[in-house]
Amino acid sequence: MPINRDVLWYRDAIIYQVHVRTFRDSNGDGIGDFQGLEEKLDYLQELGINAIWLMPFFPSPLRDDGYDISDYNAVHPAYGTLEDFRKLLGSAHDRGIRVIIEMVLNHTSDQHPWFQESRSSQDNLRRDWYVWSDTDSRYKGARIIFLDTETSNWAWDPISKSFYWHRFFSHQPDLNYDNPAVREQMWDVMKFWLEMGVDAFRLDAVPYLVEREGTNCENLPETHHVLKELRRKLDEAFPGRMLLAEANQWPADLRPYFGDGDEFHMAFHFPLMPRMFMALKLEDRKPITEILQQTPEIPPSCQWSLFLRNHDELTLEMVTDMERDYMYDTYAQNKTMRLNLGIRRRLAPLLNNDRRRIELMNGMLMSLPGTPIIYYGDEIGMGDNINLGDRNGVRTPMQWNGETNAGFSAAPPERLYAPLIHDPVYGYPAVNVLRQKTSEHSLLNWMQRIISVRSSSGVFGRGAIEFLYPANHRILAYVRRLGNETVLVVNNLSSNAQAVELDLRRYKGSIPIEMFGRSMFPRVGDLPYLLTLGPYQFYWFRLRRI
Amino acid sequence: MAEESFLTDDFLRQLMNVGEVDILVGLPTYNNAKTVGSIVHTIQNGILRGFPRERVVIINADGGSRDGTPEIVTSVSIDDMRPASNLYALRTLHSISTKYGSGPASGVAFRTILAAAELLRAKACVVLSPESANIEPEWLATLLRPVYRDSFDLVMPTYSRHKFEGLLITNLLYPMTRALYGTRIRETYSPEFGFSGRLGSQFLGQNVWTDGTDGDGAELRFTLAAITGKFRICQSFLGEKMHIERRAADLVPALRQTAGALFSALEPDFPVWSVVAGSEPAPTAGADKAVLLEPLRINRKRLREMFSSGVAELDSVFQSILSPGTLAQLQEIARLEDDRVQYSAELWTRTVYEFAASYQKSVISRDHIIQALAPLFRGRAFTFLMENRNASADEVETSIEGLCLEFERLKPYLLQLWKSRE
Repeated sequence: MPINRDVLWYRDAIIYQVHVRTFRDSNGDGIGDFQGLEEKLDYLQELGINAIWLMPFFPSPLRDDGYDISDYNAVHPAYGTLEDFRKLLGSAHDRGIRVIIEMVLNHTSDQHPWFQESRSSQDNLRRDWYVWSDTDSRYKGARIIFLDTETSNWAWDPISKSFYWHRFFSHQPDLNYDNPAVREQMWDVMKFWLEMGVDAFRLDAVPYLVEREGTNCENLPETHHVLKELRRKLDEAFPGRMLLAEANQWPADLRPYFGDGDEFHMAFHFPLMPRMFMALKLEDRKPITEILQQTPEIPPSCQWSLFLRNHDELTLEMVTDMERDYMYDTYAQNKTMRLNLGIRRRLAPLLNNDRRRIELMNGMLMSLPGTPIIYYGDEIGMGDNINLGDRNGVRTPMQWNGETNAGFSAAPPERLYAPLIHDPVYGYPAVNVLRQKTSEHSLLNWMQRIISVRSSSGVFGRGAIEFLYPANHRILAYVRRLGNETVLVVNNLSSNAQAVELDLRRYKGSIPIEMFGRSMFPRVGDLPYLLTLGPYQFYWFRLRRI
Repeated sequence: MAEESFLTDDFLRQLMNVGEVDILVGLPTYNNAKTVGSIVHTIQNGILRGFPRERVVIINADGGSRDGTPEIVTSVSIDDMRPASNLYALRTLHSISTKYGSGPASGVAFRTILAAAELLRAKACVVLSPESANIEPEWLATLLRPVYRDSFDLVMPTYSRHKFEGLLITNLLYPMTRALYGTRIRETYSPEFGFSGRLGSQFLGQNVWTDGTDGDGAELRFTLAAITGKFRICQSFLGEKMHIERRAADLVPALRQTAGALFSALEPDFPVWSVVAGSEPAPTAGADKAVLLEPLRINRKRLREMFSSGVAELDSVFQSILSPGTLAQLQEIARLEDDRVQYSAELWTRTVYEFAASYQKSVISRDHIIQALAPLFRGRAFTFLMENRNASADEVETSIEGLCLEFERLKPYLLQLWKSRE
C-alpha cells in the first residue's frame, strides 16, 4: 500500500508517536532500534495509523532524551545505522505510513562540535553561531521554562569566560538565528533528511529561535521570518512535505505560526489538551468549548494537531493558575507526579484506568478538528513509573507480550535502557499487545476500530465544526461537515447517565446512523432531538438524507 | 390518580440540564427586577471566590413577577455561550428560574427550592433574600462553609442590628424557641440561611406542606425541625442587616409566618419541648449578636394607641384566649398614661404562653388568635422601647436575656396550660 500523493495528506493522518529506543530492540542490547521498529511496522499498519513521528534519534549525550543533538547528519549508534534508518523509511512507505522526524532547531547539545568551536575562542568562525554575552542581565523579559532545574536562561562558560543563552537546559545552548550561516546550515540539515525521503519535520521549540531585548523572546516577528524562509525552501524543493510546529502557546499566539498558509502546515493545539482532561473531571464542556471559541481560524491548507499525551509532562503552561491548581489536585495529588508546570503521567493512569473515560477521551481526540496523535503504548493502556526521574516514567519499553522483558528485548533485564512496568495493574504481564490482540473487547481492538471508523470519512480531518450547546452542560455535542457529509458527535462527559435535547432542526429529515454499529436512530424532526447517554458514552452519527 | 407535581415540566427540564450539584443557591423573588441583577452577580462572585470548583446552581423561585425578574436571573448564567465579563468560572454556573404561582408565597418558594435541592442532590444549600440590600459575596461562604466543610445541617445568621430592629425576634421568637426547644438560636426566622441537603430532604417530606397552610411559616418550622431532628446547627455572623426598602411593616402577616408557625409546631413537637429544661447556646462563628445604637425613628405613640385600642376592642376575643388574671392586668396597664405603661416580661410571657395554648385548643379561629396577638405585641414593643430608650448595647442585651430567662422560668406554666387542655 504505497503512500498517497495528496499534498494535504497530513489533514487525514493519524499519527503514532514513538521513540525508537522504546519500541523494539532487535539486537539484544537493551535499547530499541530502527530494525526493531521496522519489525513492528505491521503492527502499526494493522492499528490503522498512517504516519509515525519519531523522537530524536541523532547522536546525542542523551541528557535530554535526544533533544540535545550533537550531530544532525547521523543517527545515534545505539539505534542502528543510517542505512537502517533508510530501510525503515522505505518499509514504512511501502505500508502507506509516512515518517515524521524531529528537528531541534533552537539549540544543540553543548557537546556539538559547533558549540565546542564556538566556545573555544572569541575569534572562532563559529563564535556567532550561539548567543554569547558578557553579562547575564540581557533579555530579562524571557521566562525560565524548566523551573525545576534552571535558575537563569544564561549559563557561564568557563572556557570562553562569558555567558551563553539557553532557553531549556544549560547543556543546550541556543543557536543564533540572527546569523545567516546558522539559518543556511540548518536548512542543509533538513535537506539532508528530506532527500533521504522523510515526509515531515516536527520542529521543536520554535517560538524561541530569535531573541530581542525588551521582549519575552517568544513568537517574535524575526522568528517567523526564519520559519517562513524554511517553509519557502521546503515548498520549492520538496512539495508535499510537511512542517509541524511545537509551540506551546495560547491559540492567538499560535495563529501566526500558520502565516498565510506559508509557515507551518500543522501546529500542536497545546491549550486544548489539558482542558479535555479538565472538562472530564469537571463533567462540564465549558473548558473545551471556551478554548475552541478562542481558537482562531487557520488557513485552509493548515491543520491543528491534537494529542492526549506525549513524551513530555502533561503541560499546564497554557492554563490559568486556578486551572493548574485544579489539575494538580485532581490528577496529580502525589507531588512526585508533578514536573515543571505539568504532570508526568500516561493516559491510562491519569484516567484511573477507567476504560470508559479512556474511550471517551480518544473519541474526542479522533473527532475534534485536527490530526490526532497517539502516544506509543496508550493504545493498550500502558502505565507509567513515577519513580523514574524527569519524564522517563512515561518512556518505558513497549509491552509486546507477557514474556521476558515484555517481548521488547532479549537482553538481560538489568541491561534494558529503562525498567519495565511491573505493577499488578499496568505491568506487562497484564497489559501487553499480544494479550489484547487475542481479546475481542480489548482496548487495542477498540482503538483499531475507532481509527478505522475515523478513517472511513474525511469529515473528521477536513470538515468544519459547529458546536450545538445543548442546555445540558455535561454534553459536548458538535456537527462536523464536509461537502455532503455530516457527522453528529455527542459526548457525555459525566460519570452518570445523561439525557440531552439537541436542536437539530437544520438537519430535519436526516436519519442518524450510528457509525460504529451502523444502527439507525429515529429521523430528525422539528422537536428537540432527545438522546440518552450512559456514563462517559459517546455517539458518532452520520446524518443521512435519504 | 397520581398526585400532581408542584414542579412544572419546564422546571424539571431545566433541572435535568443542571444535573447533580454540590451547592444550591435559592433565591425567592417577586417583582425584584431593580435589585435582583446585582444580587445574582454578588452570589456568583461569592461562589466563584469561595467555591470555584464546586458544581453550583442558582435557583430562582418566582411568585409570578411582572417586571421581568426571572429573565434577569436566567440571563446571567455563566456558561460557554455567556462567559462572565469580569468573573472567571472554571465550570458552568447555571442560573435557572421557575414560576410557582401568581403572588409571593415564601413557603411555596421554599418548597420549590427544597425540591430542586433534593432532585439535584445538593450537598449544601443557601437561601438568600432579594430584599437584603447589603448582600456581600462573603455571605455565601459564611452560610455554606459550615455545611459544606464542617458537616453542619443548618446555619442561621446573626446580624448587627439596631437595638430596636427585629423586635418580633427579640421579644417573642428568640425567647420562646429558646425556652421551649432549649437551643439558643438568635434569628430563628431569617430570609438568609444555609442548610444541608440531608436536612432539606427530611423537611421536604414533612406534612407542613399539606396541612392547609400552604407552607406558611415553613422557614421557621424548618429551624424547629432541625432542632427536633437533632441536626447540627450553628450560627454565623453576616454583619449589618439592611433592607432594600423599609416597607410599612404589616405585623399580622409577619405574626402568621412566625408566631403562627411556632404555635402550630408545638403540638407535633410536644414530646420534644416538654422534656427540655434550660437552654444551650448554638455554636457560633463570629458575633452571636451586635447591637447598633444610632437614632432610629419609631412612632411610639402610635404603638401605644394601637395597644390600648386593641385591648379595648378585642375584649371578647381576649376572654376566649387569656386567663382572667392576665386579661385584667392587660386592661389595667392599657388604661395607664404613656409613661406608666409597663408591659412586664412576666406578663408578656404569660400572654404569649396563653395564646399558644389557646391556639392549640382552637378556642376561636387560629387566624383570629394570631390577629389578636398583634395589638398586645405592640404594647410589649412599646414597653421595650421605653425601657431601653437610653440603654447601651449591653443593657439592651441584658433586657433581652432577662426576657428569655422569664420564658424559661415560666415554661412550667405553659406545660400546665397544655395539660389542662388534655
